[in-house]
Amino acid sequence: MTLIDHLHLREPVEALKAKVVPRHGTSMWYYLGGLALFFFLVQIVTGLLLLFYYQPTPEAAHKSVEWITTKVPFGAVIRSVHSWSSNALIAVVLIHMFSTFFMRSYRSPRAILWVTGIILFVLILGFGFTGYLLPWDLTAYFATRIGTEVPKAVPVFGSWIVSMLRGSNAVTGATLSRLFALHVGVLPLFAFVFVTAHVIMTALFGSAIPIGRSAKAETRFIPQYILGEAVLWLIGLAVLLAVAVLFPWQLGPAYDLTKPVEPPAGVHPEWYFMFLYQTLKYIPEWAAVTFYTIVLIFWAVVPWLDRKARREQKSLLFRWIGILAIAGMAGLTTLAYISVAQEQGTAALEQTTTAHGSTDTTQPK
Amino acid sequence: MFDHLPTKRRNILRALVAGALTAFVAPFAYAIGKFLSFQGTIGGSNTAKLSAADLTPDSPSKLVEIEGEPVIVVREADNSIRAFTATCTHLGCIVSYRPQMPGFYCKCHGGKYDVNGINVPGTRPPSPLTELVVNEQADDLTVSLTPKAKSLS
Ligand code: FES
Repeated sequence: MTLIDHLHLREPVEALKAKVVPRHGTSMWYYLGGLALFFFLVQIVTGLLLLFYYQPTPEAAHKSVEWITTKVPFGAVIRSVHSWSSNALIAVVLIHMFSTFFMRSYRSPRAILWVTGIILFVLILGFGFTGYLLPWDLTAYFATRIGTEVPKAVPVFGSWIVSMLRGSNAVTGATLSRLFALHVGVLPLFAFVFVTAHVIMTALFGSAIPIGRSAKAETRFIPQYILGEAVLWLIGLAVLLAVAVLFPWQLGPAYDLTKPVEPPAGVHPEWYFMFLYQTLKYIPEWAAVTFYTIVLIFWAVVPWLDRKARREQKSLLFRWIGILAIAGMAGLTTLAYISVAQEQGTAALEQTTTAHGSTDTTQPK
Repeated sequence: MFDHLPTKRRNILRALVAGALTAFVAPFAYAIGKFLSFQGTIGGSNTAKLSAADLTPDSPSKLVEIEGEPVIVVREADNSIRAFTATCTHLGCIVSYRPQMPGFYCKCHGGKYDVNGINVPGTRPPSPLTELVVNEQADDLTVSLTPKAKSLS
């Protein structure tokens, strides 16, 4: 008897060996889910490594990150990979989400699979938000001040959510502890559960064939599909390493809680929150929070709303909803970057006109 | 994966795959090993400064910290100022200076060292304390973890 028999895994193993993936005009999009899994695994490995040196206190956080990048062998690469890979993960997850949306992969029996995907998307944004403060540099501090202020607008629970996130009136060491706990404890736990569920469901249900297409052929999951995915992972790894080494992730000046300073000009969140940041310029916080909550819930229950898809028909309405969502996010993000560039431009101008030898308040000593 | 091939070619292919995988994994394992085995404390100072005036006949010794290591600085009976690692060589307790002994004493298991830091035979410590370089600039003392060369002590 082999180990597999001892564990009563003969059936699933045989099923996996017999598994095939449909091949058709758009089946290359299937590989993106696997690529997201790759970047997620990179985050686990590099994150665990960083945990060996990182110290989550306002006094030590910035120093420990500096220590990792300047003193510890390979620390600079590991930290840079962690930051770049988080961005890659979010980007790939976005593309994966929209590609499965347009393929209507959420049709029965994959409705719950889609919902777990949306939950994972939110969790990953949560990782981005909580991780951003950890180096405790100037931009991180201000971005978190603003970011933790936004939920205040949530009806009824607003100030409770803010106090839960911050653990004190303002962004302090208490906030750092909390976001750290979320980043390395709470979120990974949930992410692990949902990633496992997502992958197992994908294995059970197989990949959905888009409406109106028929599988021209089939790819055996083992070994062809796995090998194809492996090639993609290797490309991902190569690009990630190259980018991380050539463009080391920057660490801004430390923020000193005891010496408050002005935010740097054009302070803004990471690109994946820019659409939200721009929205807040047009409508009040409560409206933005309500709007995006509704959008998110709508997005999660699409499998039940798209009745046409349930009858294997393409719904023009949902195609346009998808296009609108992408256009909206892209448009808002672009506008946000334009205004940030303008702010930085005016700030630079002010600097040259006002100051001969005056101290730059954004660079504390 | 190569089940359909003749045994010989199959074995060669398997060896090639195993070799390639090892060659692929090795640099990552090396980097991670290097990363994790690094030693040091963040913000730790590699010297300790104190004033000779603080070492009086009444309290002739002082414990200071250098890179997380306890170091004992003493004014001995002949008025010379010397520094030793304060970590007991038995099981790592911190020793104290006893002018009446005279020498160093470890409370944990009664270990003894003489004024030169040499472990007293018959007590638990298996080896001497390391004497460290003390830099004297008038009253200002600077101690580092540099061992004082054997010939000088
Ligand atoms: S540790 Fe000092 S005598 Fe045992």
